[in-house]
Amino acid sequence: MILFILRRLVSVAVTFFVVSLIIFFMMHAIPGGPFDGNDMPVSQAVRDKLMARLGLDQPLWVQYTRYMWGVLQFDFGVPYQSPGETVTQLLSRAWIPSLVLGGLGVLIGAPLGILLGMAAALNRNTWIDYFASTLATLGLTIPVFVTSMLLILVFAVWLGWLPASGWGKPERWILPITAYALIPLATYARYTRSAMLDTLNKQFVTVLRAKGLSESRIVFQHVLRNSAIPLVTVFLPMFIGTATGSIFVEAMFRVPGLGAYFVSSIETRDYPLEMALMLMITFMYCIAYLLSDVVYALINPRIRVGGGQ
Amino acid sequence: MPLVEIEDLKVSFSQYGGQVDAVRGVSFSVNEGESLGIVGESGSGKSVSCSALLRLLPATARVSAKKITLDGIDVLKAGKEDLIRLRGRTAAMIFQDPMTAFDPVFTIGHQIAETIRAHRQVSQREALAEAEQLLLRVEIKNARDILGYYPHQLSGGMLQRAMIAMALSCRPKVLIADEPTTALDVTIQAQILQLIKKVQAEFGMALIMITHDLGVIAETVDRVLVMYGGEVMEEGPVQQIFDAPRHDYTKALLASLNTSFDPSRGDDTAPAPALELRGLAKAYRIKRRSGFFTTYTDFHAVRPVDIVLPRNSIVGLVGESGSGKTTTGMMAMRLTEPSTGQILVDGADISGLGPDELKSFRRRMQIVFQDSYSALDPMMTLSQIIAEPLHIHGIGSAREQTEKALDWLERVGLPRNFGSRYSHELSGGQRQRVAIARALILGPSVLVADEPTSALDVTVKAQIIGLLKELQAEMGLSILFISHDLSTVKSLTDSVVVMYRGRVVEQAPTERIFSDPQHPYTRALLDAIPAANPRDKRERTFLAAGDLEAQTPRYTTIQTGLAPNATPQLVTIAPGHRVEAVVTT
Repeated sequence: MILFILRRLVSVAVTFFVVSLIIFFMMHAIPGGPFDGNDMPVSQAVRDKLMARLGLDQPLWVQYTRYMWGVLQFDFGVPYQSPGETVTQLLSRAWIPSLVLGGLGVLIGAPLGILLGMAAALNRNTWIDYFASTLATLGLTIPVFVTSMLLILVFAVWLGWLPASGWGKPERWILPITAYALIPLATYARYTRSAMLDTLNKQFVTVLRAKGLSESRIVFQHVLRNSAIPLVTVFLPMFIGTATGSIFVEAMFRVPGLGAYFVSSIETRDYPLEMALMLMITFMYCIAYLLSDVVYALINPRIRVGGGQ
Repeated sequence: MPLVEIEDLKVSFSQYGGQVDAVRGVSFSVNEGESLGIVGESGSGKSVSCSALLRLLPATARVSAKKITLDGIDVLKAGKEDLIRLRGRTAAMIFQDPMTAFDPVFTIGHQIAETIRAHRQVSQREALAEAEQLLLRVEIKNARDILGYYPHQLSGGMLQRAMIAMALSCRPKVLIADEPTTALDVTIQAQILQLIKKVQAEFGMALIMITHDLGVIAETVDRVLVMYGGEVMEEGPVQQIFDAPRHDYTKALLASLNTSFDPSRGDDTAPAPALELRGLAKAYRIKRRSGFFTTYTDFHAVRPVDIVLPRNSIVGLVGESGSGKTTTGMMAMRLTEPSTGQILVDGADISGLGPDELKSFRRRMQIVFQDSYSALDPMMTLSQIIAEPLHIHGIGSAREQTEKALDWLERVGLPRNFGSRYSHELSGGQRQRVAIARALILGPSVLVADEPTSALDVTVKAQIIGLLKELQAEMGLSILFISHDLSTVKSLTDSVVVMYRGRVVEQAPTERIFSDPQHPYTRALLDAIPAANPRDKRERTFLAAGDLEAQTPRYTTIQTGLAPNATPQLVTIAPGHRVEAVVTT
């Protein structure tokens, strides 16, 4: 197992390197630079000086090597849009709202989705199933900015119960987290339902019934554990996907999280910040897949124990 | 009072587009300690009837009956508590495929103990101790180790034993066995059947044996129920059913047990055999990791084999699963690349040919697979499927191709208007006919038939075998018939090659191998064939792998003219009869 993890870590490093290369060169392939904007025009001489100070006049590969050398020492540079602090400082500040929003969204949405999927699978072709399936389909097909708008319209504008945007106080969290939780809820409901139905149709479930086990024991002890195997593989990567923040939800509710910086760093060619954000997400995904493979092996004896006779 | 009483049982399934009547008015009863066989082909309602007895049918089933009682309890009215008592304690069930019958994420011990604890108040430790005793009762030697094994670590035969142990765990009054040996190899099948009879006697249980195989019936039961189309055709003592069947369906079933054909004519004038395999072998590299180093070992799926398929004759290739017979067939077709060896078609070596040269040779060699469902493209009509080989080799115009395909439909016994149908509209037997037509439309000289009838019902199987034989005689085909079904091999083939663990251990003319088998493995195989009549059923002794080694025949150098050798080698002991033996001085 340890060897397996070590081998996977090597592949994580390779992935990380390849992704950084692609992003870096794509970023610089976009025409324009950080000082080409029209709102604060600078003279050619000043611009040249700035470019030289930031090292942007060097060939790309030199810039890349320098940047990556810094990254290896956990130095992600200084963001152009906020030169008073380092990228690391900025990210650790912006990280918290995103983590709260994404984390709570997943922690609320995922269990609810799993319960909903279970209820649907166990009551197949009844109104419960239809309700759950409809909800899941709506959650997956309606874009999150539409549901966000609806939530704002109903609860902030019409009913006036909750503030429409902002972050600070906990009551401002409710609407964005609700909007956000719908995504994992819908996804898990669908995955759980199909995984459960798949397991319920297996021969061994009939055997368990023929053995005289009670239905609840069959469902909670056997069916759930077998259905969890495919679920694990989608759980962690999705957790990361949501925890890194949704650009749309943060934009709709004016949450000062990573999503906002994502957009602005691309717009202003803030290379160090953009790079740092992308590398961070890549890294988290790699770790998430690694973890989910480990968990997968832990709950699945066919992988953990290997072949026998 | 009988233990099981079923009167006028009707089961129907509601589906899209109406309902299907699976069981229409079936009645039977089973007394304590009695064994009843229910025989019929797939869809006859035999499994459904017994599932209804334990209320195991899905929610889409509608069940009605004048009476279903199990040990005095009305099954249809049974509440939760009664159901738990009925299932496992009054009646226990074993199923067809032991590989899928256990929950893959729990150990064998856990699953047996769980059954015990569902019915009795005992501690986990006591339940596990009892499970170990049960595993010993079903002749599993290292019972303690097996308790901690997961299902995927055991073979099918071992799992079926564990399944039987689990069924016995609550001392049921009746054991329902639903095709318990269909998924197993012949030799394992014989052992499991013997075990079921043994535990039935020891535990004094009644037995309901559901099967499509009359041989299994002949071996195990006292009384037989013959089912067809959801109805009981005939019922009676087992000997009477075999000796004096009254119903036409029973007669057809029995006839399919005892088919025989004229031997193929052969063709001595030909300069070279249709197909010759010379030292053909397949080894797979297995990666093993120890620490940071990776080592490779070779797994020999097939050790070098020499097989000759003469023109206009049928050679049977038999052995259990994993013996390498399918790999040999695939290599002969160059669908699997051999590691070493030569393949000669009509005397020409095709083992080194590139794709282009090989293509023209493919016209002469075709293959039919076991699973006709996945062998036919579901998006193509039957005439397209059958005409496709002509299209690939550019023979004739599109209209001629279709015309020829329709002719072939007729030739394999299907109406011409089937040409526009799709494969899912056909039954298994009809699909296999289409697969045969597709293989033969190019007029090949060699046909590899890989278990072409294993997935089919008995009566259908007999028809397909008949068709193959007829076409073989008409076209002068040479067929390599791969099968684990020895009774079919006996009636169809001219000579037999027996494979065991990737080696050929014996080959001889069919008549000779069945009358005078020399290798212990061949004998074990032949001994395992279920009796064709209950009169012939017999006690069997089984050989462990070690015994097989020890009983390898020995010949002297004078008898064979070969140098002495401690490792077994193929020795010719009569014309056309070769056996793996140790040569001594």
